[in-house]
Amino acid sequence: MTRELEEMTITAPDNATPVREPRRDPAETARRKLARRQTTKVRALQALLLVAWIGLWQVTADQEWLDPVLGKSPGQSWDYFVGAIESGELWTNTKATMAAVVVSWVLASLVGAVCGIALGLLPTVERVISPFLDAANAMPRIALAPMFIVAFGIGMTAKVALACTLVFFIVLSGARAGVRSTDSEWLRLSAVLGATKLQLFWKIMLPVATPAIFAGLRLGLIYALLGVVGSELISAKDGLGQLIASYSSLFQMEAVYAILILLAIVAVLLNQLMVTAERWLLRWQAPADV
Amino acid sequence: MTETTTGATRATTPTAIQMSGVTVEFADPLGGTKQVLKGIDLTVPAGQFIALVGKSGCGKTTLLNMVAALVRPTTGTVTVGGETPKAARRNLGFMLARDALLPWRTAQGNVEYGLELRGVPKQERRETARRWLEAVHLGGSERLWPWQLSQGMRQRVALARTWALDPDVLLMDEPFAALDVTTRVAVQEEFLRLWQSEQHKTVIFVTHDLGEAIALADRVVLLGEGRVLYDVEVGLERPRDLQTVAGEPRYQEIYNQLRSSI
Repeated sequence: MTRELEEMTITAPDNATPVREPRRDPAETARRKLARRQTTKVRALQALLLVAWIGLWQVTADQEWLDPVLGKSPGQSWDYFVGAIESGELWTNTKATMAAVVVSWVLASLVGAVCGIALGLLPTVERVISPFLDAANAMPRIALAPMFIVAFGIGMTAKVALACTLVFFIVLSGARAGVRSTDSEWLRLSAVLGATKLQLFWKIMLPVATPAIFAGLRLGLIYALLGVVGSELISAKDGLGQLIASYSSLFQMEAVYAILILLAIVAVLLNQLMVTAERWLLRWQAPADV
Repeated sequence: MTETTTGATRATTPTAIQMSGVTVEFADPLGGTKQVLKGIDLTVPAGQFIALVGKSGCGKTTLLNMVAALVRPTTGTVTVGGETPKAARRNLGFMLARDALLPWRTAQGNVEYGLELRGVPKQERRETARRWLEAVHLGGSERLWPWQLSQGMRQRVALARTWALDPDVLLMDEPFAALDVTTRVAVQEEFLRLWQSEQHKTVIFVTHDLGEAIALADRVVLLGEGRVLYDVEVGLERPRDLQTVAGEPRYQEIYNQLRSSI
């Protein structure tokens, strides 16, 4: 064989996944080192920003720039936080909220993904119902909360129902877009190799749509949290949204701030979880910078 | 003008592909019909490596698609190994210009794809795929994703995928057209080596590159305007050296004869 061929067949190490260009190894190592150094820098700056923000918060409280009802210090919020953890109040309500988030997210995502892929495969049906889908999706969902609460009561079902109406459409449109990126050559090849319709669904359509579905799942998880807390704010027997509503009515803003921050942290953690899952499931994709 | 030397050289071998009186019409956007193939009669003996050449739009890909049962003839009949093309699909291998590797499967997974569709058990699938990757010099790259492979490596994975199915008939639609010149020769050599290493499979090879057709094939069929313009037996000895084959007098004779029509 020619030299060219030998060059091209350099074998990869056993755990071959992270190797990008086997031929340019030293450059690759240097590039990684640089990337790692930059990550450290970014993290340090983020920490700095966080400290500055808390400092600013403290200053607004000290200088009484805000109305005394609103102007609570980080310390006061922290005190509430510690107390609420000890009393178990935060734990039970976080649990109630998160249970509704997970249930609505899983349910709506499953249905949304299946419907989205089906619509991608049935263009005529898609044309018929897409104006209705758009109309339903344009509706301000929080306006549905009172109806769900009347229908299902102040338990978990109403929260789940509201969150589902948000998540369903997000995942649906992701799956729809994903199926459309199918390469016609894959289908031609699969047809000649004798693939059945079911095999096409599992082995081509679903993997093709996975990146877009995942983008929908990630966004959907945050929207599930939004829907559940929104529903709880209107009326619920438990949950972080319900806590916010009741502390607001008592003008205990330090508690409200603490819960809002807790919600933000939960959202960040959920997002991070999804990023990790996505990275593993979509490990076959080339990194964006290639 | 047509040289009909077909069949004479391999009188005893069975026929792999038989086309008689085949026309193919497509509806054109203006409401009429466009005849892409006009009365094709073609017999391909088993084990022959036949190249279809011609300008783009001459119908060569349509002809290939017909053998793959992706296009149905408007009139006339096509049989593959005595069966209808659809029934013969299980004996077909298919290679395209773009490698059509599935990006979510590793090299190994891609080679296994066709076997998986045909219900080959897992263990056997693994072994077959590994063996063929080895055969195209990609042993050790089993777990790489397509984006981690060079163009040439990707097309060799596609070769392995095709060979793993052990097809009787190989349909190849400009399989090396997307490769740069050096890689192309390397992959062509790889392909010829595989083809010669065992009992010859029937190959239908579509290309717009006349030189490639003569260098690789037993027989070159030149299509134009939906008809067979030339049908030439190449008659160069095998194994061929692709680096020097262009210097052979017979190569140049065919090249000069067909060049004006392409």
